[in-house]
Amino acid sequence: MKLNFSISKHKLSLWKEKLEAIPLDKLIVPLAILFAVIATYLSYTNDRIITYGDAESHLNIAKRIIHSITSGFAQMGGIWLPIPHLMMVPFVYFDTLWRTGLAGSIVSGFSYVISSIFVYRTFYYLTKHKLSSFIAFMVFALNLNVLYMQSTPMTELPLIMFFMVSSYFFIKFIKNPQDAISLIFAALFGFLASLSRYDGWFLVIFEAMIVVLIHFPLKATIEALKKKNLKWLFKNFQTAEGQVVMFATLAFFGILLWLIWGYLILGDPFYFTNSSFSAKSQQQSWLARGELPAYKHILMALGYYAVTVLSNAGILPFLIALLGFITYAFHKADKHRFYIMIMFSVPFVFNVYTMFVGQSVIFIPHITPTTFEWTLFNVRYGIMMIPTVAFFVAFLFMNSKVTGRVVIVTLLLFQLFLYTVGYSRIITLADGSVGLSRAKRPDAEFWIKEHYDYGIVLLDDYARTVSIVRSGFKMQDIIYIGNKPYWEESLVQPDKYARWIIMQKNDTVWRNLLDNPKTQGRLYKYFEKAYTSPEILIFKRKENVK
Amino acid sequence: MKTKLLFILILVVSAVLYLATLRGIPGNAPGYLIKNNLDQASKPFELSPERGRYILVLSLANNHRFSLSKELAEAAFPDVGYIDGRFYVYFAPGISLLALPFYLIGSLFNLGQVATYAVISVFALLNIVVLFRICRDMFKLSVGPSFLAPLIFAFGSIALSYSNTLYQHHVTAFFITSSLYAVWRYRKEEKFSWLWALYVWVSYGLAIGIDYPNGVLMLPVMIYLAFSTFPLKQTEKKLTISIRLSGIITAIAFVLITALHGYYNYVNFGSPTKLSGSIIGYKQFLQTKEEGTRKGEQLLKKLQSEKNVSGFFQEENIPFSPYTLLISADRGIFLYAPIYILAVLGIFSVLKRLNSELNAILGTIGVHFFLYSSWGDPWGGWAFGPRYMIPSLAVLSIFIGIWLQKYGKHLWAKLLTLILFTYSSAIAFMGAVTTNAVPPKVEADFLKMKYNFLHNYDFLMSGKSSSFVFNEYFSQIMSLQQYYTILFVTAVVTCYILLFIVPMLYKDET
Repeated sequence: MKLNFSISKHKLSLWKEKLEAIPLDKLIVPLAILFAVIATYLSYTNDRIITYGDAESHLNIAKRIIHSITSGFAQMGGIWLPIPHLMMVPFVYFDTLWRTGLAGSIVSGFSYVISSIFVYRTFYYLTKHKLSSFIAFMVFALNLNVLYMQSTPMTELPLIMFFMVSSYFFIKFIKNPQDAISLIFAALFGFLASLSRYDGWFLVIFEAMIVVLIHFPLKATIEALKKKNLKWLFKNFQTAEGQVVMFATLAFFGILLWLIWGYLILGDPFYFTNSSFSAKSQQQSWLARGELPAYKHILMALGYYAVTVLSNAGILPFLIALLGFITYAFHKADKHRFYIMIMFSVPFVFNVYTMFVGQSVIFIPHITPTTFEWTLFNVRYGIMMIPTVAFFVAFLFMNSKVTGRVVIVTLLLFQLFLYTVGYSRIITLADGSVGLSRAKRPDAEFWIKEHYDYGIVLLDDYARTVSIVRSGFKMQDIIYIGNKPYWEESLVQPDKYARWIIMQKNDTVWRNLLDNPKTQGRLYKYFEKAYTSPEILIFKRKENVK
Repeated sequence: MKTKLLFILILVVSAVLYLATLRGIPGNAPGYLIKNNLDQASKPFELSPERGRYILVLSLANNHRFSLSKELAEAAFPDVGYIDGRFYVYFAPGISLLALPFYLIGSLFNLGQVATYAVISVFALLNIVVLFRICRDMFKLSVGPSFLAPLIFAFGSIALSYSNTLYQHHVTAFFITSSLYAVWRYRKEEKFSWLWALYVWVSYGLAIGIDYPNGVLMLPVMIYLAFSTFPLKQTEKKLTISIRLSGIITAIAFVLITALHGYYNYVNFGSPTKLSGSIIGYKQFLQTKEEGTRKGEQLLKKLQSEKNVSGFFQEENIPFSPYTLLISADRGIFLYAPIYILAVLGIFSVLKRLNSELNAILGTIGVHFFLYSSWGDPWGGWAFGPRYMIPSLAVLSIFIGIWLQKYGKHLWAKLLTLILFTYSSAIAFMGAVTTNAVPPKVEADFLKMKYNFLHNYDFLMSGKSSSFVFNEYFSQIMSLQQYYTILFVTAVVTCYILLFIVPMLYKDET
């Protein structure tokens, strides 16, 4: 027995028209805001906003610019780039937003919304296909790792925002090399990206390279060289030179500013890579232990980052994007596709390069040997590629027939199901919760929160002994390495300013006050040990000693 | 007529080869004889999957219950779980239930164990029949490729090593391939086509009872059924969607079987959705005993609440498992059966003319590969080759047929096929007549053992066989190497005939 339902093709085409008339572009902002608010609410109610150790550091850097014993822009330091911290400043002014981490969530959330808009706009600009552009937006906006990271005070989302906006304008320039305005906007947002994370440096360098390539396409250049067509070469050189100079003047200015900053404030233009606080220096201990698998090993570097992207994107979107990437590579209708592919692979090249040269490290359980001390660290670097994944998923979607599109959407939804059954995990959340990137919560933190009354606290914030935001101290009551001359004086005369001293085994305070017999005597004269654990000691000023 | 004769001939040869490699010993193999005796390499209970399932057969036959006595539980170790004072094998009960009548009949002739294992050989034979029908009817392949495809699966792949022992792979392959064929028949809307739909639903229900992952593995076939139940037709002016009620009503069979399965789970494990694999292990049970009564009970409850079967499949296994399954030195399919390279070529040859049937087949392979690439133990424990891939190998062999259909008329293609089959079959028979207890590389390195078919080669050379027929009847008159050579050459000659002689008999067939 069979039941039949028929519909005329005319009616169908009317429905199709109605569907196409839905203003999907107008849904982007409200949907992105809705997703951001829900995700941040979940992170907030589950106390997941400041899970990363770095998350609190970012909040504290911003806070110190306005509230510190020595407040000012010098508090920005010389390791992390300043823009994300500057963006947080208006929000960390309010103690509640600073302590809850919401100050950072607002910045990341804002960046997420703008990124979502530009993921949509970039794809739409290239394809004029509304539905596929919407798919690109959804792949990016509903990525659970992106959603989690946009609820934290980390710097990935601001970078993605500047990366996407710069890429959007740069792609407009690629499509129309006479469009100087777009090139200037690309440079402007490239400038902001270069002051957000070091990935941004690669972005502007690659953009500059593409400007040159646009004027010297491989085939035409070889032909011109063969034919000794100097006129063509010279003419193109002049145009390229002008555009590169115009682009680089603004785009590279951020890099220049940062080098000058390092030189003026910290005495070394390359402080960010040479100092003992830099990521490169931190990798040395891994290297000494033989736990830097991608160092000088290009295949491992490629493998580690590819798997990190897979894990951030989810296995199914990753595989779809891979197919989309291959399809796009053979999509001859777009003669600029190779430049666009280069643009979208900048985060990939950057991360592979930094791992290869030992500037950074990623540990991901999929491929990290279980014999390593840690198998989960820095996996969040993979979310930089989510806009790229979104782009190629949408491209495959656009180039598929109805059945193919149904399969793609089903697989994307199935990926969400895989998260719910525990097959896939939100790897960035896992890193912040149980990985090496997580903020430690020692017992001492709970103790000091309960017993701290008032007064200046001396601690080595770099060692992250206890959380400042969680312990209830005012930022103005903290002396740490960035408070010149209070820090230096306190390491010789601990009693001069501090009422409380918190030290962790082998941190700077421990080494200077406890390991040094001279200062140790002074320490015990003016302070009494109020809290003891194998790793952390807390001293409180004696009330009756002057 | 000549096709029918050829069909019978192929079946007879196949049956003889399966019988010749059937693993076992005379007798009914009681539980107390298994531990530290019949569980050694090349003995019938060398590995825990066959041991566990056989022990469940014993429990069902002798004690009439699914839970095991302590003696049987110890014999089935380590794949034994514990819940509320009872012991269960970890495996779904389907295979043991299928094997039970075979055991009961066999035990009358003092051949209980061999008869039990023969149930899988029967399914292996059925697979040959179904694959032949798929090639012949669904894809309209010539007689030669239609016979070669199942023959390659049966005797040119690791499937042979699992056609003579109590594993689930051949039964799973049967349910997948036969359901695929059944949906195709259902689509034709012939008289009594509802019976085909009924068969698919029954198969789906039973397949889950055979091995739980089959619920996922058969999804592409079920989607194929769904598309066939709701066919879409386009004319110039309108679009018509039909609902074939038979496809929906027959789902009742699946609901009933699943309800029965749920009842089994409820009675034995306390919840309809709790599977045997999710109860805590015997090993953990022993640990809790060491902890002392009260603390042990608490630990037991904690372990029971924490264990979850979905945790066996993890995205984190994806980067390494495909390597293990495809090209690794210890389990790689292309190392054990390089003839499957032709299947890959066959897939490429059809990519531009995909239809519902091909989509369902490719979907099955994709889901299978994805699922077992996520499995924490892609090696399948100690095993001969990538045993989890066997159902996929069955389906992949169809693509070898398709490739042969396209290129089989060329001499180079015939020679290439024969060479690859000879190599693959040599390895397949080596595993079938010796042992499946081959360690993965990581363990073999530690134990200073060989980790692939070279391990089987040593068994072959030293005359250690698992074959019931060889050990009982032929070991007195010939060496194992001679026995192996006869079987292997039989398969190769059959392949040769199908490649070179049969096409001459069917010259009129395009």
